[in-house]
Formats: sequence, C-alpha cells, structure tokens
Amino acid sequence: MVADRRAEFEASLIRTAETRGQEAGAALQRASLLRDAVHRFSRNRAAATAAFAFLVLIGFVFITPMVVSASPYDINFENAYLSPSWAHPFGTDEFGRDLFVRTALGGRVSVEIGFAATIAIMFVGIVYGAISGFAGGWLDNALMRFLDALYGLPYLPFAIITLAIFGTPSFWPMVVALTVASWFTTARVMRGQIITLKENDYVRAAHALGARWYRVLFRHLLPNTLGVIIVFVFLELPGVVLGEAFLSFLGLGISPPKASWGTLAQDGYSSYQSHPYIIIVPSLAIAWLILSAFFIADGLRDALDPRTRSY
Amino acid sequence: MALLEVDDLKTYFKTREGEVHAVDGVSFSLERGKTLGIVGESGCGKSVTALSIMGLVPGPGRVVSGSVVFDGRSMLDRKQRELEDIRGRDIGMIFQDPMTSLNPTLTIGTQITETLRRHLKLNRDAARKRATELLEEVHIPNAAGRLDDYPHRYSGGMRQRVMIAIALACNPKLLIADEPTTALDVTVQAGVLDLLRELRAEHDMAMVIITHDMGVVAETADDIVVMYAGQIVEHATTLDLFDTPEHPYTEALLAALPQLEGENVREGRLVSIPGRPPDLLAPPLACRFAPRCQYAGHDDCAGVLPALREIRPGHWVRSAHPASERAAHAVGAR
Amino acid sequence: MSDVFENGAGGAGNGSEPLLVVEHLKKYFPVKRGVLIDRTVDHVKAVDDVSFEIYPGETLGLVGESGSGKSTTGYCVLQLLKPTSGSVRFLGQDLTKMSRSELRQMRREMQIVFQDPYASLNPRMTVGDIVSEALAINGIGDRRSRRRSAERLLEVVGFNPDFINRYPHEFSGGQRQRIGVARALALNPRLIVCDEPVSALDVSIQAQILNLLKDLQREFNLTYLFIAHDLAVVRTMSDRIAVMNRGKIVEVGDAEDVYQNPTDQYTKALLAAVPVPDPRKMRVRREERRKLKGALAEPV
Repeated sequence: MVADRRAEFEASLIRTAETRGQEAGAALQRASLLRDAVHRFSRNRAAATAAFAFLVLIGFVFITPMVVSASPYDINFENAYLSPSWAHPFGTDEFGRDLFVRTALGGRVSVEIGFAATIAIMFVGIVYGAISGFAGGWLDNALMRFLDALYGLPYLPFAIITLAIFGTPSFWPMVVALTVASWFTTARVMRGQIITLKENDYVRAAHALGARWYRVLFRHLLPNTLGVIIVFVFLELPGVVLGEAFLSFLGLGISPPKASWGTLAQDGYSSYQSHPYIIIVPSLAIAWLILSAFFIADGLRDALDPRTRSY
Repeated sequence: MALLEVDDLKTYFKTREGEVHAVDGVSFSLERGKTLGIVGESGCGKSVTALSIMGLVPGPGRVVSGSVVFDGRSMLDRKQRELEDIRGRDIGMIFQDPMTSLNPTLTIGTQITETLRRHLKLNRDAARKRATELLEEVHIPNAAGRLDDYPHRYSGGMRQRVMIAIALACNPKLLIADEPTTALDVTVQAGVLDLLRELRAEHDMAMVIITHDMGVVAETADDIVVMYAGQIVEHATTLDLFDTPEHPYTEALLAALPQLEGENVREGRLVSIPGRPPDLLAPPLACRFAPRCQYAGHDDCAGVLPALREIRPGHWVRSAHPASERAAHAVGAR
Repeated sequence: MSDVFENGAGGAGNGSEPLLVVEHLKKYFPVKRGVLIDRTVDHVKAVDDVSFEIYPGETLGLVGESGSGKSTTGYCVLQLLKPTSGSVRFLGQDLTKMSRSELRQMRREMQIVFQDPYASLNPRMTVGDIVSEALAINGIGDRRSRRRSAERLLEVVGFNPDFINRYPHEFSGGQRQRIGVARALALNPRLIVCDEPVSALDVSIQAQILNLLKDLQREFNLTYLFIAHDLAVVRTMSDRIAVMNRGKIVEVGDAEDVYQNPTDQYTKALLAAVPVPDPRKMRVRREERRKLKGALAEPV
C-alpha cells in the first residue's frame, strides 16, 4: 500500500518536473567558502607569517635530525660547552652533545606530546561539552556544575599527582597529565556552540523529518562546530607545550637520554650564567611555537567567521 | 530653493572582487515640508543613498562623485566634525531596528538629553524638561516618570517613538527615516506613521522615507523615487505613480503585491518578476532591468542605458518602453 | 495502519472529514527564577486555548502579529514543541498521545517550511542531501533512487537538477526557500505547515514562492496551515482564516468573510492598520484607525 503511494508520488514528481521550467534561475557565482576562508587567512599578514613560522619550526624539528650528521647521543667531553659555531650552530652541552640536533629531537618530543595532548583534550572536551549541550535539562546542569567544581582544582598539582600515579614520566603519562586539567574550557565552548546551533531551523527540520538524536548530533550539529574546533586546536596547543615544558623544568619531564625542550631547558639551568645559550635556545623554540600557534588561531578565527550574508 | 538637492550621486564599495556600484547616479530634490519616499527592493541602493547624504557610508564604501547640497551648503566636502553638528541638529535620522538603535546601558532620559545638550547647549534641568516635552509629543504615556527607565522596559513601538523624539529634539529641518517601521507589528506601524505625519505638519519638517513597502510609501510620501540596481528608474508624485506607473519594473512591482481586497485573489496567481537584480560589480552599460523586462527589445535595450527623462510634467522615467508610449505605439509584450 | 493513509481527497466543505483537528491547545512557557534551584514563578501563555480544523486540500491562514502565538501553534501541531495540554488529531489520531516511534511514522505525513532561508538549511550539506535526507531517514529507496528523487524534487521547485551537488551558500534567499519547500515535499506529506515562508523575501521573489506553493498544492493535493503576519499574503493563499491575538483565536471564518466583514475589534484594527498601496484610500483608512484607537493601543 505504502509502496504504491510512493510510486504514484514519484510518477507525479516526474510529470510535474517536466512542466515546471527552471524558474529558480542560476546559482550565485560564489567562490567556495573554503577558498574564501583561505584567502581571508592569507590576507591577514600576522596569521600568514605565523603559519609560515610554524611550518618552519615543524620542518626544523622533523627534518633536521635526518640530514645533520652530528649524533645527539655521542658523549664527547672534549667538546663540552662549546659556544655556537658553524660546526655546532647551537653549541654543545655539558656532555659535548650537539645542541642543534638535540633541540630538533627535543622539539619532536615536545611537539608530539603537544599534539597528542591537544587531540586528547579536544576529544574529552568535545564529548563532554556535546553531551551536556545536546542533552540539556538536568544532565546539562549536573555536568556543568561538576565542571565548575573542576575549574577550582589547581592545574599543576593535578598534573604532578597524575604523573606520580604513573610512576616514570614517559610519553603517555605526560599526555594524560597534561590533558587531565586542560579540557575544561574546550568542554564549555563546545557546549555553548551546540546550544547555539540547536536553535537553528535546520535542526528543527531534521526533527520534523523524523531524525533520531544521533543523526541530529553527528550530521547536523557536530559538523558545524568544525570551525571552532580547528581554532581551538591552535589555542590549546601552546598551553599544552608550555605545560610540558614547565613540568619538565621542574624535573618531572621525560627521562634521559630522550629530551624535550623542557628538559633541555632544565639541563641548561645550572649553567645559564656561563653558558646561557643552553637554556635560551629551547626557551626560544617554545616561545616560537606558542606565538605562532596563537596568531594562527587568531587568523583562523577571523577567516572562518561567517560574516558574509548574501541577498 | 530646495532644502535638499542631490545631483548625480555615486557611491561605490571596494571589495575583493572589484568595485560595487551601490549608488550609480542618483539625483533628486526635496522642498521644505515635503516628504520624499525612496522605494526599492534589497540591494537597490536606497539605504546607501541615505547614508551618503549624511556622510555615514561605512568603511570600504565612499562617495566617488556627485553633490549633496543641504540648506544651501554642500555636504560632501565637509569634515566629520561639521557633519556631526549638522546631524542631530539640522538633520534627524531614524533607523530600522529600534532594538539596537538605543544604547541599553543608558536611560532613555540620558539619551535624549545627550543630544539636546550637545547641539542646543542646554543645561541639565532645561534638557530634562525638554526631554519630557518630547516624550509627550510622541505620545509616550507618563513621560516624566519614564525618563529614567532603560530601553528594555520599552516595547518596540515605544522605542521607535523614542528614536523619533531624539531625532526631533533639536527641531531639524529634515528627517531621514530608513525603514522606520519594518521591524514593527502592523498595528504599531500604523501608529508610528500617523505620529510622523502629525509631527511633520507641526514642525514643517521635510522627510525622506526609505522603505520597500509600497503601502507605507503610498500613505506617507508626497513624491516617490523608485530605485533599481543603484539607479532611479522612476520619479513622480505619489498619486501619479500609483495611478499611472510608467516603468516596467514599477508596474511589475505593483502587480506582484498580494492584494488585501479584490476578487479571485485565492485562485489567481501573483505576477512575479523572473530572475534577480543584476550584480552591481560590473553593471552592464545598458538598461539594468532589461534581462527581466517583458518589453525589452534587442535594439534599444541591450546596448544603451536610457536616461531619466520627463515623460510628463513632474513624472520622470528611465526606460525605453514606458507604459504610456507602449500604449501609444501598441507595442505588444514579447 | 497504512489504510489510514489512504488518499481521502476532497476540498473543504464537501462534507469530508477534517484532516487536522486541534482542540483546546495550550502551550505555556514557565518563567523561572532562582539562585541554586530554579523555581517556576509564572507562565508565558504563548498559546492559550486554541481550537480549529483544517480540511483536506484547503489552506487555513493563521494570521497575527508578533507574540500572538501563531508560530508556536504551528510547532505544537507538528509536535516539535510538546503542548502543555489539548489535543491534536491528525488523520484521526491524537498526536499528543503517541509514542516517539509512532510519531516518527506520522511525521511522514506532516512537514514544515521555515521562515529564515539562511538558518533553515544545514550549510555543510549539499542541496541534494538536504532534500533527500527525509528519504534516507525513513529508509526509502537506495542511494541511487534517492539521488534521482532529489533531482526530481529540485526540478519540481524550479531548479536545474544539476544543482544537487551545490551548497546552500551558493543560492539566494528565494532559491533557498525553494530548497526548503522541496525538502518538505520529499515524503509526500498530507499537511505542510508554512511558517512565514515569504516574510524574509523581497516582494518580487515573494510572488514567485507563493505561486510555487499554490501550484504544488494543486499538483500534489496538499493541505496547508499557512502562518504569516502579512494580511495581504495570507489573503492570497488562504481559503479560511484564523486571526490570533495574544495566544487566542479571536476570529475564524472564510477568508472573504473575515476580510470584508470582520466581527472582532482586533481583526478590524488589524485590517485598518495595514498600509495599502493606494494613496486615495489613505484618508479613509486613517479615519478608521482613529475610530479603532482603543484596540490599537500598544502594550507598555
């Protein structure tokens, strides 16, 4: 019965389609939204420069150890504490190890931890925020009150306690420690986004069509938060990298011989008066990453701003 | 001498893709105490025209040529400071959205007295007294008591009345109203329009009212200018425009209006205008309405931009096929 | 169950059963106040005891100003908002008493066209997906047949079928509304609630969309609940009209009657307030408005 009606309807559609002209007219001549966004981003000089700087840093961190011959692990006391020179652009440390390569390798570790933690933060934050915003009502209330309580927890002790629970600080414990106290803002922002997006008519339309909650959430709500998520990735990354550096500087960082920028900085702390370059170089690297990430985030935010409205 | 003379005004906006010719050669004049209605659909340039007159064209836009003479003095080559003096004192303005036109953090009284003290240099008490008088003039009940209320305690219609009061505070010679009632309910709209008429008569004030609503302009304006794609396509007295519209666009616009009364309204179809207004980035050097016009001919419409000519005393039209000539030559629709 | 969906075609007033019967519909929104725990202190009575019927094939115009409750009524009919009380009988069954899965079945017969062309289409979905989503959700056909249906639906509303791969931002307001109409039509519903479908459009485009709605009504035997604040637009579309004010229906009847001989004060005031594009009527209408001054009093 229903199938017949459907077939009849399709037949009607064909008949009607033939008689209706293309009165709606042509589509607007618009560049794709993505191209518009990319253009806006590249016009923003600070953001474009920052993106370039960021890529240079990533390039340095990943490519350098593959091309430079000096080994980061060779201990050669004769070469200890050499100032920057052509052979050793960043000098050498107390063990005679080339700091150029060590900074690059340390950067790899820092960046990897940074990205891993950022992704973890995004995941936890998105899930928590989306559930809270989507569910609404008492669940939303409860989750948000709980989050408020968590905000009160001190970041550093929490990270330290987490590391202590794991025992030796290595890659994954570090990632967890950094995530544990940093996902709150992301959760809040995601909740806000979901709540705002829920009000759009196309969400109501999906309900009217009979969509179940998961379709609404995954097809209609989350995809439209993509812009915010991308911006947030670049906002959270600096915080995480700095967090890792700080923990490492306190001595809780990755165990040697692996190094991160934080541990490199810690190594250089003891001799900073006589050989300042040992601590300056990793610190600058961290600052470089943080600043470029922030400016990229700023540029992304402006670029993805849905300001254009057509007539 | 006319109170306001606009001559060949051109306002262009710089965008990434090029220059948008938002206003492309607009001319009209307005006598003291009269009301001019500027009608058109979105994107026709009517709001930008008003902003150009007041020197308020935003950012990427600028007036590229033409002249605006108000009360004998040119407006376009003045510094911002001088314009600020004129705005509020000699020219009052009201905009579309009463919800956002008022500062939510200042009381109504403050917002009115602010303009009084700036332009008329009144002291606080005199300003307050005058503010109360103004609120009474716009029929806000219990005016004295409501001076110290914040905008959120006023309804939409009342806020618009407050906007009118502020605009009228210094007894301006000209009021520019940009879609003053579009955001209001129909009954509230009627009240605001009646109020405007009352005040115009009392203060002998000229008004330019910009709207897309043909009904509103029929009820308030003495003369009407119809804009399309940045240009004036028809200019006539209100009666003349509605009795005998000349431009195909005007005719089509009137025909597309759903009727409140009449027979066969339910069964019939509305006359719609196919297509869309042209892109103002690179407007064609021809009649801009031609692609949508049922009378367009290849010879005279595709290559020449018709000039605005006076087809009857006081009735101007920019078209190669105005209604009266069509009837005379019995040119059928293509 | 499917028998209920049999096509009971017939216009209004030929003795057929009403398609939709709304009785004593109420929607109250609680006003909450409180510090730690929200307490309900008052209610906003958006819809306050509204009753009406719609017959198959006709258009009932629901007209009122902002805050009158007309859109809320539309949402309650479709159960997009849960009514506080009252019944909504559609095709003989009370929607307010249905389970979620039963309601989902019913949704195939009742759809909605929204007001804002810029908020009613998911910017991240192609036009084809938007229009055929209804079919995907209800498991109708496979990917290929859904694609074909999407193409035809777009053609029916006046589009080039090649547009199925385009995105909403590539279209103007009027075109987007057409997409919204195509989406509403996809499931072959009996009833379509049109919630201010042309309010955000220019006059010349309004006419196009209204004509389209009229054509579709004839071609597919649709029934409309047409909600709008523009009296002239409602007049063009409706067979019968209900006038709403502050949550209540103050007058209902045949369109002709309500417009020519309104009985309610508010209706009269409303009709007198509409600016008519005829300068000669100006003075007469102003007089009428003066006489009805009381009913036109603005809320403070």
